[in-house]
Amino acid sequence: MDNGKPKVAFFDFACCEGCQLTVIDSLQTHLDLLDAIEIVQFREAMSEKGENYQIAFIEGSCTRQEDEERLHKIRDQADIVVALGACAHLGGINALKNLHPLEDVRKWVYGDKAAWYDTYPARPIGAVIEVDAFIPGCPIDREEFVRVVKALLLGTKPPIPDYPVCVECKLKENVCLFDLGKICLGPVTRAGCNAICPSYGAACEGCRGLIPNPNENAMKDVLAKAGLTVEEIMSRFTMFNTYQLQERMAEEE
Amino acid sequence: MSLWILDKGAVAPLVNALRADYRVIGPQAKGPKFVFDPIEDPAQLRLDYNTTILPPKKVLQPPEERLATFSMGSEPRVAPVVEAEPTVLLGVHTCDLHAIQLLDKVFSTDYPDAHYLERRQQTIIFSIECLEPCDEHSFCKSMGTLTAGEGYDVHLTDLGLAYAADVATEAGKALLTRYGTVREATDADVRRLNEVMGAKWPRFTYRLNFDAAELPALLSMAYDHPLWDELGERCYACGACTIVCPTCYCFNVFDETNMALTEGERWRRWDSCQLDEFARVAGGENFRAARAARQRHRFMRKGKYIYEKIGELGCVGCGRCIRACIPKINIVDGFNTIHGGG
Amino acid sequence: MTTSSIYLPEMGRLVQVESMTTLEKLFTIELPGGQSLGHDPGQFVMVSVLGVGEAPISITSSPSRSNGSFELCIRRVGDVTNALHGMQAGATIGVRGPFGHGFPIEKMRGKDVLFAPGGLGLAPLRSLINQVIDERSSFGRVIVLYGAKRPNELLFRDELDEWIARDDVECHVTVDRGDETWDGHVGVITTLFPYVSINPRNTVAVTCGPPIMYRFVLMELLGKGIPETQIYLSLERRMKCGVGKCGHCQINDQYCCQEGPVFTYAQIKGVEEAL
Repeated sequence: MDNGKPKVAFFDFACCEGCQLTVIDSLQTHLDLLDAIEIVQFREAMSEKGENYQIAFIEGSCTRQEDEERLHKIRDQADIVVALGACAHLGGINALKNLHPLEDVRKWVYGDKAAWYDTYPARPIGAVIEVDAFIPGCPIDREEFVRVVKALLLGTKPPIPDYPVCVECKLKENVCLFDLGKICLGPVTRAGCNAICPSYGAACEGCRGLIPNPNENAMKDVLAKAGLTVEEIMSRFTMFNTYQLQERMAEEE
Repeated sequence: MSLWILDKGAVAPLVNALRADYRVIGPQAKGPKFVFDPIEDPAQLRLDYNTTILPPKKVLQPPEERLATFSMGSEPRVAPVVEAEPTVLLGVHTCDLHAIQLLDKVFSTDYPDAHYLERRQQTIIFSIECLEPCDEHSFCKSMGTLTAGEGYDVHLTDLGLAYAADVATEAGKALLTRYGTVREATDADVRRLNEVMGAKWPRFTYRLNFDAAELPALLSMAYDHPLWDELGERCYACGACTIVCPTCYCFNVFDETNMALTEGERWRRWDSCQLDEFARVAGGENFRAARAARQRHRFMRKGKYIYEKIGELGCVGCGRCIRACIPKINIVDGFNTIHGGG
Repeated sequence: MTTSSIYLPEMGRLVQVESMTTLEKLFTIELPGGQSLGHDPGQFVMVSVLGVGEAPISITSSPSRSNGSFELCIRRVGDVTNALHGMQAGATIGVRGPFGHGFPIEKMRGKDVLFAPGGLGLAPLRSLINQVIDERSSFGRVIVLYGAKRPNELLFRDELDEWIARDDVECHVTVDRGDETWDGHVGVITTLFPYVSINPRNTVAVTCGPPIMYRFVLMELLGKGIPETQIYLSLERRMKCGVGKCGHCQINDQYCCQEGPVFTYAQIKGVEEAL
């Protein structure tokens, strides 16, 4: 029966399902979400499996051939596809494996059963299908998820900031981690998390991806001045952004 | 108006008494730094602070504030929200006091901004004289903000065991006498105050290599200076320099709705000319796309544009933008470079 | 003690919504109690769709034809304008203003007036063009040179036809690329300039369009010898307040929402951030 509410489905690919857990969390703190949308498929939260949906939230990165087919099927059904979290948005930490020969990766993970498992370099879902919106973060920010749902209901552009974490960190009047001798990727990382890690004294690791126009050279300068080696600097940048950095290097070549 | 003496031991009782009727905000420690925040316990108050991460403008123009509430649907309604409460703002340094006077002008001229002005009107300011530079980055002496003759209700100067309290307004006087224990200053107190004031000046060194009054003229010849490209290379466009600036007041406006899309609120939030999106129009054109152009805009606003608009330099020499900049862009060095004939 | 806010919109009613092109619609708006907007040609209003946001829109109707309402010609280009395009007559929107300095019509009286709008740039200029036509005897020649990319992007086609039909208006229209429906002039707007000869000292030029168009139109206008102080432009900027506070619209030291949106070429000549 059609109740006029947009039908929403959640899907997962290579991920830890932490972002969907955050969604479940936000359903509990924002009870009105379920007055506004109807969830027809959400493996982690319910057993029903409706295939008639308009909005698809996809968590996880694409790491296998069969993932592609499933992604295309979702794209064909959904009017709006939203990449949910760092793995779907960026490739995320899954893409760290792209830095190594895949044979080695499979052996490390699966040992002598490596041959049983198929895998290829991890990609964000946007590399496979067209994505209408993304919610960054590892995991996503609960409030941002709610803001994006509202924007989708209103028909406006989801309010994902293009400015760096420093903006939110300064607005919260946090002591800058650089002043405490720590290294933080806040200056080049997309805001929207309300600077949650620096607020608790933990350096930003870039889980929300780089801002559209980052000054990476200045960041590398600062990191080098802080005494980091090139390898250490790269390991900071590749934690969540390996796929983007490799794409950029490929373009430059 | 008159000079009073407030013993240091009388500060805590004064703060406690004020808290009954006012929101009392003052400098307090946050890790190794200081911030202006509501005082819950007089022991939190640190009138000996060096500088705060954010300036006290946050009390008058909060980082985020509601402008209006509204209902949506076929017959939408909108109502203004002007949020202000009686506030005592303690321990404002004179650089920040000058900045507040600048904000007063900006928000009261042409189109008066009730949201700021109402809050300002309900705020009583106790400023405090700086007897030492807060650190190597302040250049208040260059900017003429090392002391203040107006803009406060009560101005404190540390005399050692007591504060001299220069009471400038009736509101300040009423507050001190009703809530505190003070005595009138004696000739000896005045002599002590003069000694303290005389001794402080040599401790502050000038940081600009030239008279700040030359800034507007200097900058008018520096639009194409190579400095801007150099700063653009180093700048992250993170906006920290403007967010911590006591005279930056630019803002963004956005709507928040409830989930049912039946009602909502209109908010404003501090914005920064250093951010990518600041000058981009809906059609996509960005009129200040380069980081270099944005840094130039900041320097120009601080040293020229604001002066031309309201007759006061947009920089009070507090040094916060220098402290906050991770790649160490230094406005003093920048101004000196321009003066240096580069 | 004041509790009224400069940021509080008045609620206006859409009395008519008319589709003009695939991207633009014309909105006719009435303020509460039939009060007049009281604008000058070239001024703008801040338009709110509550819940979505607020955007600056130039006023396209002329004060001489107010009839208790005003008109906005709006391109669908962002959240607010998208939301407006989804609204029907009878709906309520927020309006603040009018703001800014419009065209100084007093300085144009007795002079020849050359209008050179491109694309959506006709929207703010139409306000002045109709005002000038309604006070026709106060002005010398009235010339309109209008260019759009494609025939189906031409705005106010009925009025263009009226202007063309009038003996006392010289109106030429061009499109960058024609199609089977178009038998008029083809070429960018500057290709119209050779058709008109003017007395530059006695001519005021008024132009508005996308940044790229300004560069070429200005070359033509200056090439014809029109003094820089007699060339007027209307500039578009991001605005969040409309009252000289929020900072978004600043062009170097000038607040577009206050000093502008209308500037003389002399004011913005050499100003890197202007065009």
